[in-house]
Amino acid sequence: MPEESTLTEALPRKLAEQRFARLYSEHGREILGYALRRCSEPEDAADVVAETFLTAWRRLADVPLGGEARLWLFGTARLVIANQRRGERRRGRLTEQLRAELRRQLPAEAPADPSGILEALSALEESDRELLMLVGWEELTPAQAAQVLGITALAARSRLHRARRRLRARLAEAEGSGCGENELEAKEARR
Amino acid sequence: MKTEDLERQLKAANPYPPQALTALEIAAAEAELGEAIVAGPASAGGGVGAGGTKRSRRSRWPRRIGLAMAGGLAAIVAAVVLVFSGGGGEDGSSRAYAAELVRFAEASPLLLLEGPGWRVQNANEQRSREGVEGTMEFVTGKPVPYETIQITGTGADERASGLLPAAVRQRRVDLWWRPGSLSEVIGIQRRNPHPHGQDWRKLPVLGTTAAVDTRAEFYANLGRPGDRRMTAFWSEDGYVLQLTAWVPDLAAFEERLGWLTKVGTQTWLDAMPAKVVKAADHDAAVREMLKGIPVPSSFEPSKVPDEGLTATRYQVGTSVTATVSCLWFLQWAQARRSGDRPAELEAERAMATSRRWPILREMAKDGAYPLTIWQLAKEMPSGVWIHTGHRHPLLPRAEGLGCARLGLPLLPRKQKLQRERGPPLPPR
Repeated sequence: MPEESTLTEALPRKLAEQRFARLYSEHGREILGYALRRCSEPEDAADVVAETFLTAWRRLADVPLGGEARLWLFGTARLVIANQRRGERRRGRLTEQLRAELRRQLPAEAPADPSGILEALSALEESDRELLMLVGWEELTPAQAAQVLGITALAARSRLHRARRRLRARLAEAEGSGCGENELEAKEARR
Repeated sequence: MKTEDLERQLKAANPYPPQALTALEIAAAEAELGEAIVAGPASAGGGVGAGGTKRSRRSRWPRRIGLAMAGGLAAIVAAVVLVFSGGGGEDGSSRAYAAELVRFAEASPLLLLEGPGWRVQNANEQRSREGVEGTMEFVTGKPVPYETIQITGTGADERASGLLPAAVRQRRVDLWWRPGSLSEVIGIQRRNPHPHGQDWRKLPVLGTTAAVDTRAEFYANLGRPGDRRMTAFWSEDGYVLQLTAWVPDLAAFEERLGWLTKVGTQTWLDAMPAKVVKAADHDAAVREMLKGIPVPSSFEPSKVPDEGLTATRYQVGTSVTATVSCLWFLQWAQARRSGDRPAELEAERAMATSRRWPILREMAKDGAYPLTIWQLAKEMPSGVWIHTGHRHPLLPRAEGLGCARLGLPLLPRKQKLQRERGPPLPPR
């Protein structure tokens, strides 16, 4: 069978491999965490990791250096997940072992949610949820989250403010106290 | 609730905190994945024209290929193209073929359906992560057009309408191949909807045995005695092969399987339909299509993306005209912003000729893409797109030609995004 012959003009192969290896070892687990938090099944997360780093490998010259690389990878993983949701799940041989390991090691049951925050989070718009998760779980600053989402830092800050308000309101709604400030917050959530 | 409390609560609810990820014992699996990625082709060049912008098609095997081939998408299914350049063949044929096409042949299982009156209607290949996968359509009698299927209902109640009559459908056989595991493919097929239940049989094919799904209809309203969709699966040389046909009964399906014959490269190439021209020589097709089209000084043929190994004239025509149009719109937008009236007028006049571009006139017989370009060109002097009585800025509409995807974003917002993050991911 023929091989695709698009190999590396700007970077010599050896250098590309070294750069990729570093990228993968530094950020592989982070991207796995990002994907696990957003995919309903660990196997899908394995596919997201594979697709994200495959894209990085194919576009290595586009991947920024230093800390920006992490944000680029988050942004790519985000697009991969969006594509995955639109299309059919991929269960390629590439990720066979990783999928098997994740299936074996990760609990099959849904994570505990005593505070109801996961449920409240899932009730939010995707854009709100993603921003809150980037800041809360990926521990990005609003400016870094802005880079991942392709928006300005100013927009990210103001969206984050609104997203937090809506999350609070969802929580209040779930608590169902039905009076005072909570009621106002619940109304806000319905907007 | 204070923001800090909310953040604390959110953090505590993280289902996969960093320490849980660190505790995972997956180093070996990660290493294997990393090695597999690096073992594949890279394009570290970046930018337009590098591997990153190449179409990297996701495998749609097997159900989605079936839908695509049967449905409207198939109208743009790629076709393999012959290049006639003289010379002699292994069997005395006077036809010789472009290297790309020979390579395609050698990557295929070299099978033909040698039933009386049957011929190849189309052939295509696409690259997936696992390797090259290909499709061939065999027909008898008149060409069998592609169908536009309407799906209504959900789940088990999904129903399809718009299919060709059974007598027409039964004149076509589809063959697909791709590298992979036979058991995996059969497993996927078993999990696909079978509104009439599952009935698997074994039938001989090419010296081996195929597993045949004799109730392979997707939708409850399809499939009845005398009109069954059947699919055979078998493997050969590390490839999974799948043959699908609508047939009156199992005997007819077995007959079709029996017609499959392994042939030599030259015979296989000779069987390719002559109507299909090109893919092997994308650059020549681009040059030919550019005839009669005024191009801006910023244009270079290399800006026209090669969308893959095989592409129909319509697809290549779309790439060519979109690239030229996007460059003209880019000049037009920049000229309007800077007040460069001559440059603005030059772009408007060039696009006004689009009605006469030969390739657009040819494409207009097969689809609506040319109409979009013509309307955009018509509205350039006003800069406004009127839709249902409302006036919209023209540039976002022009962006809809796929300019950003071509690495030629028109809108400042998209330009900034591409400066920061490079061209968008290839479509799936």
